[in-house]
Amino acid sequence: MTGEARTLLQMRGICKRYPGVQALRDAELEVRAGEVHVLLGENGAGKSTLMKVLSGAVQRDTGDILFDGQPADIPNPAAARRLGISTIYQELSLVSHLTVAENIFLGKAPTRWPGVVDWKRMRLDAARILESLGTALDPDAPVRTLRLAQQQMVEIARALTDAARILVMDEPTSALSEREVAQLFATIARLTAGGVAVVYISHRMEEVFRIGQRVTVLRDGSHIATRNIGDVSVPELVKLMADREVSDHYPRRMHARGEELLRVEGLGAGRHEVSLVLHRGEVLGIAGLVGAGRTRLARAIIGADPVEHGTIAIRGRPVRIDSPAAAARAGIGFLPEDRKQHGLVLGLSLERNVAMSHLGALSRYGLMDRRAERREAETAITTLGIRTPGASQRVLHLSGGNQQKVVLAKWLAAQAEILIFDEPTRGIDVAARHDIYVLINAVVAQGAGVIMISSDLPEVIGMSDRVLVMRGGAIRAEFSSQDVTDAAVLQAALGMAS
Amino acid sequence: MRRLCGFAFLGLLAAALAADGCNRDTRPTTGGAPRVAFVMKTLNHPFFLDMQRGAQEAADRAGLQLVVQAAEREIDVEKQMQIIENLLQTAIKVLIVTPSGSREIASAIVKANRAGVPVIVVDTRVDPKAITDNNLKVESFIGSDNYEGGRMAGDYLAKAVGGKARIAILEGIPGHETGDSRLRGFRDAIQPHPGMTIVASQPANWERDQGFTVFQNMLQAHPDIDAIFACSDLMALGAVEAIAAAGRSTRIRVVGFDALDDARKAISAGTMEASVAQSPRDMGRIAVESAAKLLRSEPVPTEQKVRLALVTKGSNP
Amino acid sequence: MTDDPQAAAPPRLKAQRARQLGTFAGLLALCIVLWAATPHFLTVSNLLNVLEQTSINAIVAVGMTFVIISGGIDLSVGSVLALSGIALAAALEGGVPAPAAIALALATGTACGLVNGVLITFGRLPPFIATLGMMSVARGAALMLAEGRPISGFTEGFRALATGRVVIVPAPVILTAAVYLVAHFVLARTVFGRATYAIGGNEEAARLSGVHVRFHKTAVYGVAGLTSAVAAILLTARLNSAQPTAGTMYELDAIAATVIGGTSLLGGEGTLVGALIGALIMGVLRNGLNLLNVSSFFQQVVIGAVIIGAVLIDMSLKRRR
Repeated sequence: MTGEARTLLQMRGICKRYPGVQALRDAELEVRAGEVHVLLGENGAGKSTLMKVLSGAVQRDTGDILFDGQPADIPNPAAARRLGISTIYQELSLVSHLTVAENIFLGKAPTRWPGVVDWKRMRLDAARILESLGTALDPDAPVRTLRLAQQQMVEIARALTDAARILVMDEPTSALSEREVAQLFATIARLTAGGVAVVYISHRMEEVFRIGQRVTVLRDGSHIATRNIGDVSVPELVKLMADREVSDHYPRRMHARGEELLRVEGLGAGRHEVSLVLHRGEVLGIAGLVGAGRTRLARAIIGADPVEHGTIAIRGRPVRIDSPAAAARAGIGFLPEDRKQHGLVLGLSLERNVAMSHLGALSRYGLMDRRAERREAETAITTLGIRTPGASQRVLHLSGGNQQKVVLAKWLAAQAEILIFDEPTRGIDVAARHDIYVLINAVVAQGAGVIMISSDLPEVIGMSDRVLVMRGGAIRAEFSSQDVTDAAVLQAALGMAS
Repeated sequence: MRRLCGFAFLGLLAAALAADGCNRDTRPTTGGAPRVAFVMKTLNHPFFLDMQRGAQEAADRAGLQLVVQAAEREIDVEKQMQIIENLLQTAIKVLIVTPSGSREIASAIVKANRAGVPVIVVDTRVDPKAITDNNLKVESFIGSDNYEGGRMAGDYLAKAVGGKARIAILEGIPGHETGDSRLRGFRDAIQPHPGMTIVASQPANWERDQGFTVFQNMLQAHPDIDAIFACSDLMALGAVEAIAAAGRSTRIRVVGFDALDDARKAISAGTMEASVAQSPRDMGRIAVESAAKLLRSEPVPTEQKVRLALVTKGSNP
Repeated sequence: MTDDPQAAAPPRLKAQRARQLGTFAGLLALCIVLWAATPHFLTVSNLLNVLEQTSINAIVAVGMTFVIISGGIDLSVGSVLALSGIALAAALEGGVPAPAAIALALATGTACGLVNGVLITFGRLPPFIATLGMMSVARGAALMLAEGRPISGFTEGFRALATGRVVIVPAPVILTAAVYLVAHFVLARTVFGRATYAIGGNEEAARLSGVHVRFHKTAVYGVAGLTSAVAAILLTARLNSAQPTAGTMYELDAIAATVIGGTSLLGGEGTLVGALIGALIMGVLRNGLNLLNVSSFFQQVVIGAVIIGAVLIDMSLKRRR
């Protein structure tokens, strides 16, 4: 199949640093014409950053890119398209009101006279391309009437009008049925037969082995290995993805597990259903890949989204949680993944944010006790070590780590005993991360229970007393801190038997 | 940069205002021409523009300084009151006003009385009850006898249709004494003719476009209307356009009030039947002349009726 | 993935004070210009005049400020004012004693506001649309109730609300001051006020933090309706008449006052002091233009220009942060 396929793309020594985090560290990738090259790695391994560099969405700090043997500079997405690099993201970028043909030729409609679209030609060309992909879509169908799989076809067709030579596909099958997946693979086969290379990003091992010819594994921003699919097994791949020294830089903890604090049973909507138990003095980690349903679970528990079935009991007593206000009253605090959008009101001061979840407690007959409010804020600043000029500082101006501390302070001040952290250290520098871990331990030592949702495997494993692994909206595995390993968790997250 | 632009902008505006203010000679006119204020209902109407012209001519002849102001819409009573209050702050010697609200104007007149500024009312009477309730002092009322005018229109129409017709009426702003009086006069005039029935009567607020819309709707509801009386010409002209748009085969007689130039043209062309002519120019003139008399401490009659005339195709001067 | 460096920016209060000072400076500048342009401006009687004339817009602006801080907008305040006024007048005409009639007017205005609130919160209508609809409905209701005519002729006692004076200060000014004091208290020192700022600043974050968003959002529109009713009572007393056509375009004046005063249309910040200064700027401007005998057409141009200028300045101040 490959034989002497020539190298189409070579990325070498790619480094990319964001403030506080090294996303890519001498990453490498070599793609040959007509192959399906799978890109593997856990969340945060650097796959998407590398692809962003390739597609021109982001600029590399150092490193070379060679395309067809020539050095290539890709300063923006338009340049990438001109080279023939097209990317199909999970969130499709079609215009739903327009037809298939219009979308395929978006921005480059064939014209007879300048400015006047040649509809007939556009339709014919569109039909031709769709046929070459082996699909019988109607060029005049409005895109919004199509199913997701068909919309994906339109995206691929659009990429072809750019004379794509490399097609990057990011999790293309996450919403497809079996039959549609087969059709997609058939299309990919057609493309590669024509010399187009496909970089295929996916977590689904069965697919990786079905469609891929070679596979590259990234970990912590670096290139770990590249193998022919025929020469490697799943366990080997998993080991490559997750094999690292479980570093010791998570603070020691010594908590005694106490009474049952939170019991969730059968919670969810439709097919999704989750049950779990949280105890005092315990950190319960929830691992899983993106899309596994962890945030959805958290939001269901705090009543942010409506649920269809399930019960919640706190300290043994059933509670009805139909809104975040009810959750707050019940003593559950939620620290969202996107703290700037959902965790804080950036325009308000530290003081006001800390008070937000328990305004009632800080007031008498509706009148705010401003001195108590100020005292609480100042206590929080000292206890949590928040670096700020003062309690009236707008949280907009605080660094990520300090902002997260404010969110935590808010719930501690509201006397929440159950704290749900969603990606607690995302976007926070190393020093502040450590602070957060120490705080989590301290809070748990005082009798709270913490649920920690995290995509950072070392973090989840290092901090948790127990780890649950979610996949497809349900809990698939549970590990105690003794028998948890990166590999085991990853396998469970991927859905492979160990 | 933007801040500078903003400040510069405001600064220029301020300078422009100051310069404008200088030009308007608002310094206290001790020894200069006495200031007389004429506050109208609106300046968006040929009737009041005519009135202004008459007033200005008289002011020039009498050596008075005339200040004319008005709100944008006749409906804005509060605005008129604010204008009067503000003008009372400047050194005006006499206040002439065409009230936008016959009852609402009382509070403003009270303030004028208190400030010792004599008040002359033009065109629309102050509600008599309001006068007694508030002990208002009005030196003179100058206006047409609107009741009489309404009668004239009614009598004419009755004769023209031979005592038998289905009539629609377009009223002015409800509560305006002018409109109310005209209406009453008209109704009283056609009362003795049993064959004349009023099938619809609605306000169009003295405005042309409202006259169009309201009458168009009336035509929809009563396709057999023979005649229409509009309390003012602007509304009548709006109705004329509505008739043209409806493409009626049988003629609808339109009678208006004010005898504006456009109305006179319409009467010549035959699209309107008649209109009651007021003399806004005379009103303006007499008002200012009365003000001059007051300033010379001469007596002024409490009622000064201004003549009315009926304008028809035949009698169009 | 960014980690902002610790910024040594001034705390929130200082920045907001600076903006208020700026707006106040604008008002002062305007007064100075007018003082130079005409000697009739800076007299005690004229200044009291201005205060009296500004009072109605200032009161409506209070409710509007609450709504805009919460992240919404209310286009119906003028029509609700008219409806409340007609309710008041109809009651007085029908022999209902003044305190009860006033209570009825307040209830009418608040009810209209709460309807807006429910449509927006539970019906999920965009505030612009919901209040646009109410603008029409309330106006129509007022015209229907009054049969198109103004209702007038009230007792001396009632009219004293507008014509009375305490020492030399006109009653409307005292009423406005009272409204502002109460409103400021609520906004700055109560749970309701805190919730309003939070919801306007980031509604979803406030909701996830446990703030009762639905309740407070609905209530805020009720406040706007209430202040419209208070303004209606004052206007009716002042004119000795309630017109179903009253209040036309008052919402624009109220929004202008609020925005000139530094409240952001995006929500989450703003002050009542600012709205008061904004209303005063507009009132002084109108008064001055009348005194200078500037035609009313040009007045409209000037006022529009001032609004644009004030917002430009305000936005540039914000951008510097």
